[in-house]
Amino acid sequence: MSNAQWVITVGEGTCGIAAGAPEVTELLRKRFPEAEFKSVGCVGMCHREVMVEIADGEGKTYMWGNLNKKNLPKVIRFHRGEAALPKELLIRSSEHPEVEGGEYLTRQTRIALRNVGQLNPTSMAQYKARGGYAAIEKIIKNGMTPEDVIEEVKISKIRGRGGAGFPTATKWGFARGAPGDLKYLVCNGDEGDPGAFMDRSLLEGDPHSVLEGMLVAAYAIGASKGYAYIRAEYPLALKYFGMALEDARQAGYLGHNILGSHFDFDVKIKEGAGAFVCGEETALLASIEGDRGMPRLRPPFPAIKGLFGKPTIINNVETLANLPWIINNGGASYAAIGTEKSTGTKVFALAGAIARGGLVEVPMGVTIRHVLEKIGGGSATKRPLKAVQMGGPSGGCIPEHMFDTLIEYESINATGAIMGSGGMIVVDSKTCMVDLAKYFLQFTQNESCGKCTFCRIGTLRMKEILTRICDGEATLEEVDTLEEVARTVRTATLCGLGQTVANPVLTTLKYFRHEYIAHVQEKRCPSGVCKALIHHTIQNDKCSGCSICQRYCPVKAITGTVKQPDTWVIDQQVCINCGMCAEVCNPDAILAA
Amino acid sequence: MSTASLEAVVDPGKVQGWINAIGSDPSAAVPILQAIQTEYGYLPRKAMNLVVENTQINASQLYGVATFYAQFRLKPIGRHLIRVCHGTACHVQGADRLNTSLRHAMEIEDPKQDTASNGSYTLENVACIGCCSLAPVMVIDGQAYPSLKGADAQRELLKHAREHNEILAGHDAQE
Repeated sequence: MSNAQWVITVGEGTCGIAAGAPEVTELLRKRFPEAEFKSVGCVGMCHREVMVEIADGEGKTYMWGNLNKKNLPKVIRFHRGEAALPKELLIRSSEHPEVEGGEYLTRQTRIALRNVGQLNPTSMAQYKARGGYAAIEKIIKNGMTPEDVIEEVKISKIRGRGGAGFPTATKWGFARGAPGDLKYLVCNGDEGDPGAFMDRSLLEGDPHSVLEGMLVAAYAIGASKGYAYIRAEYPLALKYFGMALEDARQAGYLGHNILGSHFDFDVKIKEGAGAFVCGEETALLASIEGDRGMPRLRPPFPAIKGLFGKPTIINNVETLANLPWIINNGGASYAAIGTEKSTGTKVFALAGAIARGGLVEVPMGVTIRHVLEKIGGGSATKRPLKAVQMGGPSGGCIPEHMFDTLIEYESINATGAIMGSGGMIVVDSKTCMVDLAKYFLQFTQNESCGKCTFCRIGTLRMKEILTRICDGEATLEEVDTLEEVARTVRTATLCGLGQTVANPVLTTLKYFRHEYIAHVQEKRCPSGVCKALIHHTIQNDKCSGCSICQRYCPVKAITGTVKQPDTWVIDQQVCINCGMCAEVCNPDAILAA
Repeated sequence: MSTASLEAVVDPGKVQGWINAIGSDPSAAVPILQAIQTEYGYLPRKAMNLVVENTQINASQLYGVATFYAQFRLKPIGRHLIRVCHGTACHVQGADRLNTSLRHAMEIEDPKQDTASNGSYTLENVACIGCCSLAPVMVIDGQAYPSLKGADAQRELLKHAREHNEILAGHDAQE
């Protein structure tokens, strides 16, 4: 080791911490007491957590991944010159261009995520060093009028990233033109889609970008008060965004006469209390006002009459994070990326049966296959991929044979799924599509606010039928009834939740009807998931007689003699088909069918 | 079993303190309830009554809000809280097995019961904690446990119990 200052950067977003970043850091601090330690947000390579970058101060950098207490000594010994390069842990290095773990990042186009993982989210100085707050300074110092700002955003043709894809500039125009002295800007950080985490990563990895986006939007519509509605399940995001507000206030970016202008704006955080429907604009406003989060009839639209009856714009976290870039680089540069109707980039949260899960930002207009294979690395299991679920409970399942669909609003909508906020859950042949539809209906039935009869009762009826199908008790007529209820709920409900709640059912019926039929007619779950239709049995020819299944069986249904594979058997009277045995069996000797 | 012993002793001074700090108009309902729950782990009836008596929030609004949002609970919790994530990624990768194995370890059979009879642990399902690439995940007292199999969940729970001097009479998965 030379005397130059070593810099060790640790990814400490929620995923990194969950994967064990604190103990890795502790160990590194003991071994490298001289080094400078930096904490950054999540770079989005969730599949490689815990990640650490070690720079030796002389230009050599090593980015390590999948670190834990056990393998960390290998890295430490390498850096002390005592051991060979542990290549399996290296993501990329200035010294080893042949290691291409970095392609996950280099194949992306990062605009919204431009700073995530690159800076310490609690340091305003680092944000400014990367061009932060240049957008709001440009607006005020160059004397741009609110109309100029709206025009620039209009040229960018950016559409709301929360799911519906409404043109941002158009929405702003309504609020700008609405009469009233007091207007509100609300940041929608109530990322309720199970399976989506891009807003969390932005809020905890680069909170100042979101805040600067709020300043740009507030200036454009003439809002003097703002709310950041962030879900309580994201404690780190709440903490870092709160710190960003404090620092911005100190620096004069929030408060009265911002940067010496006549622009006043300040932001309060509202902690969401856990309700999926609050992602819907009017429900979110009801929640801020202290009520149950139930949607209201539109019109009047929130842009005219919103929070506390005042004109209000609600923008999604990702939309806001794009705005400073658009102001700095011009709307035309943004519009040059993507397709004619869907410009710019979109962030996706890739998870499920995928080799490289994490955050992915790509230009609009690439194919789903590009994201899953080129960036995500294809299936994580040896099994082939079956479908991708896009848009969460409001979205749908797109089957493998349609993976060449372009990622843009119109093309995705044509499949029956939606772009949504950007959750992409990849499933393989071991996921039952009927069970997946049931999962979403269980979720939405629980989350339906109860205002509209068709949503309240319709989700319950759909859940009941799906449960009967999964239990092998349904008839073919009921599958038709399911489809009819799904179509009715879509047309007879008030808000975005009700209108999209049937999408998981309709898309699985459209593309995977054969799985429904197998459950109903053959009383068979082709994926081996639905408990009522499967039995777990031991294939003695594959069994090694290790007894691990016996130890993990919660109901003691498994008996046999150690090292005698032929003796092992599952008592079907006792077995509850929980699948724990199949999960722990090394030789894969337990059959669920 | 009785959860009576888990009932919190409510300090009226604290409740008034939160009201003073947050506000007493209807829009304060959610943050006040959040403050109460952060302190006591649930919403004790006595604390709710104090809020109704000392703010402009009426009982129907307060209970309406408390029962609408998933975050709030009206029943006391155990000494430790286990939250199992049931996001989509966790679901397709076997989150249900975590519940099965944890409930067995906690000896809970009644599907409506969520707290072990000795008051040690409460098991709660959450919609999504946003760590989808580490699915399936559970969180015990704020600490996340990533990429679990059903059996791992039980083992981590038993380890946690040993470290915190809690007794779990349930099925013991030896290593």
